[in-house]
Amino acid sequence: MARTREPKPVVVLGLVGSTLDAGVGPKRWGRWRPTVDLCRHEDLLVSRFELLHQPHWTDLARTLAEDIVQVSPETEVRPSVIEMKDPWDFEEVYAALLDFVRAQRFRPEAEDYLVHITTGTHVAQICWFLLTESRELPARLLQTSPPGGRTKGGDPGLHRIIDLDLSKYDQIASRFRQDQREGLSFLKAGIDTKNRAFNELIARVEQVAIRSRSPVLLTGPTGAGKTRLARRIYELKRQRKQVSSTGRFMEINCATLRGDQAMSMLFGHAKGAFTGAVKDRPGVLASANGGVLFLDEIGELGLDEQAMLLRAIEDKRFLPVGSDHEVESDFQLIAGTNRDLGRRVREGRFREDLLARIDLWTFELPGLRERPEDIPPNLEYELQRYAARENARVTFSREAQTAFLRFATSPAATWAGNFRDFSAAVERMATLAPGGRITAKGVAEETERLRRAWGRGEDVDLDRGLIVSVLGEQAYEDLDLFDRVQLAAVLRVCKGSRSLSEAGRTLFAASRRARTSVNDADRLRKYLAKHGLHWQDLHGDGAAS
Amino acid sequence: MDGHEDREPLTVDGAQGEGGGQVLRSSLALSLVTGRPFHIHRIRARRRKPGLLRQHLTAVRAAAEVSGATVEGDALRSPELRFAPGPVRAGDYGFAVGSAGSTMLVLQTVLWPLLLAPGRSRLTLEGGTHNPMAPPFDFVERCLLPLLHAMGAHVQVELRRAGFYPAGGGELVVEIDGGHPLRPLERLQRGAIAETFARAQVSSLPVSIARRELEVVHARLGWSRQWLKTERVSSLGPGNVLMLELRHDGGTTLVTGFGEKGVSAEEVAVRTVEEAERFIAAGVPVCEHLADQLLVPLALAGGGSFRTMEPSLHTRTNAELVQRWLPVSITLHDEGGGAWRVDVGPR
Repeated sequence: MARTREPKPVVVLGLVGSTLDAGVGPKRWGRWRPTVDLCRHEDLLVSRFELLHQPHWTDLARTLAEDIVQVSPETEVRPSVIEMKDPWDFEEVYAALLDFVRAQRFRPEAEDYLVHITTGTHVAQICWFLLTESRELPARLLQTSPPGGRTKGGDPGLHRIIDLDLSKYDQIASRFRQDQREGLSFLKAGIDTKNRAFNELIARVEQVAIRSRSPVLLTGPTGAGKTRLARRIYELKRQRKQVSSTGRFMEINCATLRGDQAMSMLFGHAKGAFTGAVKDRPGVLASANGGVLFLDEIGELGLDEQAMLLRAIEDKRFLPVGSDHEVESDFQLIAGTNRDLGRRVREGRFREDLLARIDLWTFELPGLRERPEDIPPNLEYELQRYAARENARVTFSREAQTAFLRFATSPAATWAGNFRDFSAAVERMATLAPGGRITAKGVAEETERLRRAWGRGEDVDLDRGLIVSVLGEQAYEDLDLFDRVQLAAVLRVCKGSRSLSEAGRTLFAASRRARTSVNDADRLRKYLAKHGLHWQDLHGDGAAS
Repeated sequence: MDGHEDREPLTVDGAQGEGGGQVLRSSLALSLVTGRPFHIHRIRARRRKPGLLRQHLTAVRAAAEVSGATVEGDALRSPELRFAPGPVRAGDYGFAVGSAGSTMLVLQTVLWPLLLAPGRSRLTLEGGTHNPMAPPFDFVERCLLPLLHAMGAHVQVELRRAGFYPAGGGELVVEIDGGHPLRPLERLQRGAIAETFARAQVSSLPVSIARRELEVVHARLGWSRQWLKTERVSSLGPGNVLMLELRHDGGTTLVTGFGEKGVSAEEVAVRTVEEAERFIAAGVPVCEHLADQLLVPLALAGGGSFRTMEPSLHTRTNAELVQRWLPVSITLHDEGGGAWRVDVGPR
């Protein structure tokens, strides 16, 4: 026989109901009294009843205890006095119940605790709920109700045990799963992505996004969708009421911040703080109060700004430029970067404490090239987006679609700018499509264009990133474009080479053929030294931008 | 039991027939008298709250106590139970029963084994004695006991205090001198109803309720006011019971009706009177409730016959169960005109 597990004795904790439980004459038996009737249920055996009452209800408590023993000889009743002058005073009731609970020696492994919430004021009910929900009191809630209209006299009514462990409820759990699915789909902008790593990442983001107010760090190459994901996180939090109804989404790219303007953009300024500060400006941190602040390319933030930002995250307050008064702002920070911030810390360009603070939840978004299986659903998505924006439906011919997907997933497609390139490519094809039909010819033109763009490698942004990573912001600003282009090219070769000599041979290949230079390595070393660089600086780690 | 050496556990389907607590209680009693263990499954499976409830557990524990039984599955809401009794020991026993589980149901479980176990027993039962869901104390005292005496049983009951549903708080004492063999019994003729007697009891309720009930009895049945009596009884909680007693050649028949909140005294009386009228019209000596109670003692005595009204599902279920436990056959024969003949004999 399937042996029934030895059930634990049931212990009920409950307050004397001064109204519902009242009565000492024989007529009390004709009424439903929650405390007594709870011990009369045929399918609930109460082994012990911890009956709490205020000092002036001692007689009533005694009557109830005697009656319980009559109707349920198996029940031991232990009355306890609990001091509450005003049973409607939340603070007092909570404190009194908490004191009582803390004085008990609960043995959940040996006894099954139920809190009877039907008696006592609504305030007491709320306090019981809070104590149970916080597990201060290891009990489940027990609610009783009087018998319905057509039941026989003497019916003890109904009882119901409410377990606050929500995962035990099928409907709530399935509702929760559905919300989660919707949340995942939402974060992916409804794109049915197939890449497992990406989908797992989004699932984690969904968990963190709705549960945590801590900073989130999104890393990944430029164009991988950091900004889009940050905005989606904000919108999901808003749907789930995790940000206040007035909380906004503020975004700023730290690479665009310079000098005084940087401080002012972030933290705001007081009127007259500096030349041109003709009126107060709140700054993005203040504007993000109650919402989400997305700081993209956080690695580009100056050290002063980093210090201010750290304080703003930790204390939720900061001082605007030129102001005597601190401003409070409670926002969730999402930071984005395509850099190795650990390395920036070692270089002294990024505060270690700030990194520690924002590195709690780090999500690395893969580039498009690492997600070839997601190209078809993203193509679908881009076409829909175009249709919605331009109010014009655009489709591929079968041949064109095959050709584009073949190119897009081929090694030749580097997708250097990731989704930014992808989105632009689709938009160009759609715009140029005759009669809303993208043809094989249109695809051929676009793929050729993309090849050229990626082949040129003259992306100014990329050069900038590369130079800043080795020389820093200021040195980059001080360079002429002429030198920047040259230096970037040299750095790229150096990073792709195993040794100084190898890099020298590549860089001075023409001279070598003409035999005009014999020491390429020395020539390169001198060039680097002119910029204050050593070969070791470039190969401190293997990272290449 | 002699002639019944089978010690293999009997498997009982708890949901058979009437499918309620009686299947369990009868099995407990018969297990105690035969010494045979049993395994009951699907306990009350078709009921709204299936499995063992508190009143059933009380019966299980009482049965275990008088016999030192080994029990498995005796937990609230348990769908099955294994019960292996030891020898029934005469002695002093006290059982406190909550209001919902009437003391009469516990008595039903342990009375037969203690009647058969040699020696004196004294059973003190506390709790409900007048519960609409079980035979009241007076039924045991006035209808069942005289027949048991006629069969050779030595048993007396005394009500110390009435316990009305729902407050309970009653107490009764049962004195048993066990070990006297039971003799078969025959109750086939009722004859004319010689005496009629009505009592309307109230506890903590206006006596006018009792008077109104008796007024209906007088008007509907034409019983002489001389034999109608209101009684105030002292009990823990309020209660009202109307008892119509009919004495005849076959013994005493008691028809009872309980006062209920929201039901007028007149309505309670009318219902009770109608039940008495059905019994009178049937012309049989044994009412349907008593028929139910007689099956076990007649089977233990090895035989007997009586005439009764159409057997209830309760009685039919009990008859089937008794035949599985004891080497007897029970026949229920419809004689027409609302009369049935029940014969219990050796198989």
